[in-house]
Amino acid sequence: MTGWFVASALGVLTACGVWLCLRARTFDVVLGLTLMSYAVNVFLVAMGRVAFESPPIIRSGVPATLAHYADPLPQALALTAIVIGFAMTALVLTLALKARYVNGSDECDPTLRKAGADPTAPPR
Amino acid sequence: MNMHWIIVPVVLPLLMAPLLLLCERWRPRWQWSLSLLSTLILLLVAASLVRSADSDTIGVYLLGNWKAPFGIVLVLDRLAAMLLLLTAVIALASQVAATSLATRGPHFYAFFQVQLAGLNGAFLTGDLFNLFVFFEVLLIASFALLLHDANGRSLRAGFHYVVINLVGSALFLIAAALLYGVVGTLNFADLAIKLPLLPASDIGLAQAAALLLLVVFGIKAALLPLGFWLPATYSAAPGPVAALFAIMTKVGLYGIVRMSMLVFGAGSTALTGWGAEAIFALGMFTTLFGAVSALTAPRLTILIGSLVLVSSGTLLAASALGEQALAGALYYMVHSTLAIALMFLVVHAIGLQRGAVADGFEQGPAVTQPVVMGTLFIIAAGAVVGLPPMAGFIGKALMLSGTLNVPGAPWFWAAVLGSGLLSLYVLARAGSRMFWSTGGTTAAAPPLSMPSSAGIALLVVASILWMALAGPASQYAADTAMQLAHPAEYINAVMQTAPLPAPERAH
Amino acid sequence: MTLYALVLLPYAASLVCALLPNHARNAVAWIAGLTALAGCAMLGITAPAIFGGDILRVSVPWFAGVAFGFRMDGLAWTFGGIIYAIGALVVLYARYYLSPQDPPARFFAYLLAFMGAMLGIVLADNLILMVVFWELTSLTSFLLIGFWSHRADARQGARMALAVTGGGGLCLLGGVIVLGHLAGGYSLDVVLAAGAQVRADPLYPVALVLVLLGAFTKSAQFPFHFWLPHAMAAPTPVSAYLHSATMVKAGVFLLARLYPVLGDTNLWFVIVTSTGLITLTLGAAFAIFQQDLKGLLAYSTISHLGLVTLLFGLDSPLAVVAGIFHIINHAAFKASLFMSAGIIDHETGSRDMRQLNGLWHFMPITATLAMVASGAMAGVPLLNGFLSKEMFFAETLQLTEHPGFKLMVPVIATIATTLSVAYSVRFIHDVFFNGEPVGLTKTPHEAPRWLRIPVEILVVVCLAVGIAPAWTVAPVLAVAARGALGDRVPDYSLALWHGFNFPLLMSFIALTGGVALYVVLQKTVNLHTIDQLPMSGKRVFDRLVRGVEIGGRRFITWSPTRSLPAALTWIIVIAIVAMAWPLLRHGVGTPDLSVMPLGSEPTVIGLLVWLLAVGASIGATFCYRKRFLALLLIGVVGLAVSLGFVLMSAPDLALTQLLVEIATITLIMVVLHFLPPTSPIEPGTWRKWRDGFIAIVAGIGVMLIAQAVITRPSASIASYYLDRALPEGGGTNVVNVIIVDFRGLDTLGEITVLGVAGLLIFAVLWNFRIPAQGRDAAPTEPWNPLLVRTIARLLLPLAAMVAVFLYLRGHNLPGGGFVAGLTLAVVLVALRVAGGGHPILDPRQLAYQPWIAGGLLIAGLTGVGSFLFGFPYLTTSFAHPALPVIGEVPFASAMFFDLGVFMTVVGGTLLATMSPGLLPDGHVGGVDQ
Repeated sequence: MTGWFVASALGVLTACGVWLCLRARTFDVVLGLTLMSYAVNVFLVAMGRVAFESPPIIRSGVPATLAHYADPLPQALALTAIVIGFAMTALVLTLALKARYVNGSDECDPTLRKAGADPTAPPR
Repeated sequence: MNMHWIIVPVVLPLLMAPLLLLCERWRPRWQWSLSLLSTLILLLVAASLVRSADSDTIGVYLLGNWKAPFGIVLVLDRLAAMLLLLTAVIALASQVAATSLATRGPHFYAFFQVQLAGLNGAFLTGDLFNLFVFFEVLLIASFALLLHDANGRSLRAGFHYVVINLVGSALFLIAAALLYGVVGTLNFADLAIKLPLLPASDIGLAQAAALLLLVVFGIKAALLPLGFWLPATYSAAPGPVAALFAIMTKVGLYGIVRMSMLVFGAGSTALTGWGAEAIFALGMFTTLFGAVSALTAPRLTILIGSLVLVSSGTLLAASALGEQALAGALYYMVHSTLAIALMFLVVHAIGLQRGAVADGFEQGPAVTQPVVMGTLFIIAAGAVVGLPPMAGFIGKALMLSGTLNVPGAPWFWAAVLGSGLLSLYVLARAGSRMFWSTGGTTAAAPPLSMPSSAGIALLVVASILWMALAGPASQYAADTAMQLAHPAEYINAVMQTAPLPAPERAH
Repeated sequence: MTLYALVLLPYAASLVCALLPNHARNAVAWIAGLTALAGCAMLGITAPAIFGGDILRVSVPWFAGVAFGFRMDGLAWTFGGIIYAIGALVVLYARYYLSPQDPPARFFAYLLAFMGAMLGIVLADNLILMVVFWELTSLTSFLLIGFWSHRADARQGARMALAVTGGGGLCLLGGVIVLGHLAGGYSLDVVLAAGAQVRADPLYPVALVLVLLGAFTKSAQFPFHFWLPHAMAAPTPVSAYLHSATMVKAGVFLLARLYPVLGDTNLWFVIVTSTGLITLTLGAAFAIFQQDLKGLLAYSTISHLGLVTLLFGLDSPLAVVAGIFHIINHAAFKASLFMSAGIIDHETGSRDMRQLNGLWHFMPITATLAMVASGAMAGVPLLNGFLSKEMFFAETLQLTEHPGFKLMVPVIATIATTLSVAYSVRFIHDVFFNGEPVGLTKTPHEAPRWLRIPVEILVVVCLAVGIAPAWTVAPVLAVAARGALGDRVPDYSLALWHGFNFPLLMSFIALTGGVALYVVLQKTVNLHTIDQLPMSGKRVFDRLVRGVEIGGRRFITWSPTRSLPAALTWIIVIAIVAMAWPLLRHGVGTPDLSVMPLGSEPTVIGLLVWLLAVGASIGATFCYRKRFLALLLIGVVGLAVSLGFVLMSAPDLALTQLLVEIATITLIMVVLHFLPPTSPIEPGTWRKWRDGFIAIVAGIGVMLIAQAVITRPSASIASYYLDRALPEGGGTNVVNVIIVDFRGLDTLGEITVLGVAGLLIFAVLWNFRIPAQGRDAAPTEPWNPLLVRTIARLLLPLAAMVAVFLYLRGHNLPGGGFVAGLTLAVVLVALRVAGGGHPILDPRQLAYQPWIAGGLLIAGLTGVGSFLFGFPYLTTSFAHPALPVIGEVPFASAMFFDLGVFMTVVGGTLLATMSPGLLPDGHVGGVDQ
């Protein structure tokens, strides 16, 4: 049951992330990447199995085993992943911003571009 | 040898980067010499590491003095050492040549050092998640080098490159996490030990993770259909940076070899030889595609990018054809990396002398130094094609003779010889277009700059050495392949290295 | 030693020439000439040994059983002689042939390089090394054909020659490798000794075909002959040297060399003989119909090479002797003919036989020489050509087996020879007689003395050999034959007169028939009216290349080299397949229901969080075109995720996620400010559905996998960390101990990434200005600056205090440098976005690079500290007695590390988020540069 909670949420996040990533506009891609990174981080933690009310903070008297604490390693990994994800998202955003003004459009699929003005071209 | 040497290739540039940042602010003049010094030291250290790795001892470095698999380990085997040295050589050449580039945008030198730290770390680490981290380090640095003064074409290419790699990172995390969820560890050696012991019900998941890792590394190695991004990206990068990027596809190759021969190669399980057929087939496809797209490339840099695909595909295919072929492939890899880097530097120099046309194939003004440039182009082209007596020829010979009696050899032979012919033709055509069919005009451009020529000279010397020393070099490659084919050595070395006793930790 | 000199001397000379300036015409010519003469001298020195019958060898090991060594036997010696002797003559000729505009230094540099490569081929002591030089000849020939690079035909001819011969070289490489594998080594001695076992091997056909491909392409055998006529765009000395005397002989040399190994089989006979026959005939036939003087000679060369090939195909030692003999003769007369053609071209400015007529009156000497030479070409008695032709005829009659060929070979041979007589006659008649010159640009006159000398020498050779073979060529031929055949040399006589026999008859038929044929042709079809041959290999070649190119274009345009969504689609689909395949094969295993999560399950809150996450992300997906709304929903998802982390007992993650969330959303808002507020509608709905399908499959896949893993008993190594965190890591917050201690290197890398990201964002936006009118909306005015500023003044110290608090407790409770840094950064960012112009928020007042640098340095150096105590990098010296000053301090040295983390995070986050935020006020550059 619990598994399904986490798993299904993961599935939805992934699906939405993937779909947005496949859009042809930089901004939408960024949103997609954000969703995807949420999914990945949750997935990481989930790979340490699900645990409630037992954060991996050593409490005196409680034997320090996985039977009493959540698996700390995936959490540490996820921590790293979150921060890296943040850094990368910020970068992509900046690129999207600059690209829009340098290339005159925020599309990331030149094959899609039709004749005539691109609606996302910066106003002149 | 002092054990700390193993960590130097990672820590030195990692510390040098912030130092250079401070220099940039308060002592701008120091940057150049300081970063050059750092790269030189890296070269020397890498050389000595190769020497120690060649003595059949696998160096293991327990970070934080924690025992494997609990802490992170750095492992120095022949393959890692070889790649460290290669990286250092390319880095030195590229950095020297990039002197004029460095001032175009802020923080160039720091970015460069971080790039080196990332590469070296990726080659040295013995831990899957740590490999991910170093991948991110070298990626962000490569973004930086690619984009720090980007605009227009290069900006779009850069954006694509970044997004594709971010997706790749996401896949990497999923694979690593899944592997951890199933096997419960991240250390290569530990994984190699525990994977064969998995219950049958877990094989499916483990193999899924394995193949996903293959996809991830395939993206880096530009294995088609995962590597469509490569030609545009490389052609968008300024010459010296593209030269450094020549090593980047090798990171993917390294990952594939490491995974398939160590992590999933040890012991006989349902996992051993995972996806070898897939790698071979896709490698062949990559070679073919690269050759064709080289034929249709509109500008020289894209042509070279396509030839990167060719060499990458050939290497991947060969690496899937058994120990002997792998030995040949390793020897060839070093050469082709040097050759491609050299080519990018030369093309950059040529482009600077052709005015607005730059590296385009349309008829443009003649270069200001036809003889120098022509000679350099012939040397570089010969190196890329593997024309004798360049080492590429030897590498091809080794690969071919190494695949004489393996299934799939005919395809491989056809691919190697065919792509060789095609590359020869396209480069000859490119050369005759750029140097012979000129409009008679000559662009008013400065002669080959001192830094560029220094970088080029370095690479030429390096590849000539690799050719002249073909005997010991191919021997080293063969030993490397052998070491990879027998991972037990690696595994024991990692698992049996004990941390230093630290009594005061008791209380 | 001499051997090394023999091969390497030309290269040295070539280098010298290349370095000399172009105006040093005589200097370079002298260097080249002396090199060639020196070569001849060295051959002279080695002659006694060679004629004494021994084989000279030198070698140093190179790689994998391949030596860098040379080996000279009779055959090699003879070819070396041809290369050097004719080389000397060509150099002399070229010195006077080249016009002042042509850069002589470059020319002679190429020519000498070619000479060296050619010698390498004949002297190489192992097959691999031979291939090396083989390819070098292709390269140098490419450069020499393209010497007049301003001419399009020269460029094309050069490319074509390189493609054909270079490709052949690659095949040869393959063949040689197979051969070496069969023979158990690449060295010639080994290979030549291993004939029997090679021929017995099932791989023999592969080796044979690949080697023959190499030989045939080089020697312009049908169907690869077409490159040779187009190579005539080269300066005539090059045509005389490479494309008649030496390089094109490399192929037949290879046949002679490997005959003992590969020959004497049915396959060899069929392939080589038929190729030779076809080439011999076609070449001769085409030659008749050429209008270009050099074109005629080129096709004649093809035909003669076919003749030699045919001889080697006949599979008898005597035929091999004849072949070698003809190679020598052909080199002599064809080179002289090319040179005469060059003289004519030089003096009349034309090579077109429709213009060149009756030159006899203008240049009698040249005419005489040319006539003698073409007599040799036609096989007229008393000339060298006659002798080898006779031997050739004799051999064609010796066929015993192969009934099919028994009759065909001699007949075709006679016909072909007739044709060759015909074109020789045409050459003489058309050029030197047959009326007056037509429309020549300049009035022809006799060539300068030095230009003629090489021709004269060669013609004398033709005569001498033709008249007194026994005293001239006999010993050379003998030693060459011994080199090729070893002890299987048959006895043969070079006498001029063998009495009335079939060969003589065939010669007679050929001579008379040829003359007759020419007369008839001129009478019936005026040869001058034919200007284009029906079929030309060039057109086929061009079509091939163009075809590949067009096909390639289609292929490439289909491929997603430029479209990001397409590239991503490929990647994701492949990823899905890669994961689905094994899972479908092995299944995911059955969930173990006994595995129950720790703690009691918070169903209600769990459900709420679930709904929040799922609903918001689906919502964001469906209204993604309304970007602002989508962004808010994404923010909600992030919130839900961090709540989820709280539930899943990951407090550190929850905190970090929350803060990162705030930072990210703020940043996106700032950026969205400069992007269009809505996404335009995408063309094509099917595409959305396809993506939707892919996305759903991916989602389901991830769901199943996650579910499968969650319901498995954990095999994690993590209890180790729980166990050691407090006693050995000095902290109760295991996650924090892991990131600063157990896996410190990860963290070091991670903060590097964050720092570099900040720097890069700064660099990307550096000096980048958004045109004011280019913005979709004016920059927001800060609401009530005064108020915000006061808030800022109050809030900043508070934020700082909170940060310090979080930082200090981090090692034992949720928090740490990471969270602390983010907190501080986020507060600053929020204030900045709110428009609080507090000085500390502006990179131009306080740049963040030093923060990043300092943080990275501190973190990195903390690790280095442990070197002092002889411990590995990043060893925590928590409560380390070796720290006398600090002694039993309550906190681990990891705290320093965490301080570095803190600083980097602050610097990186602020730089990343502030830089875009600054755009409204102009550019980001700031005081840094």
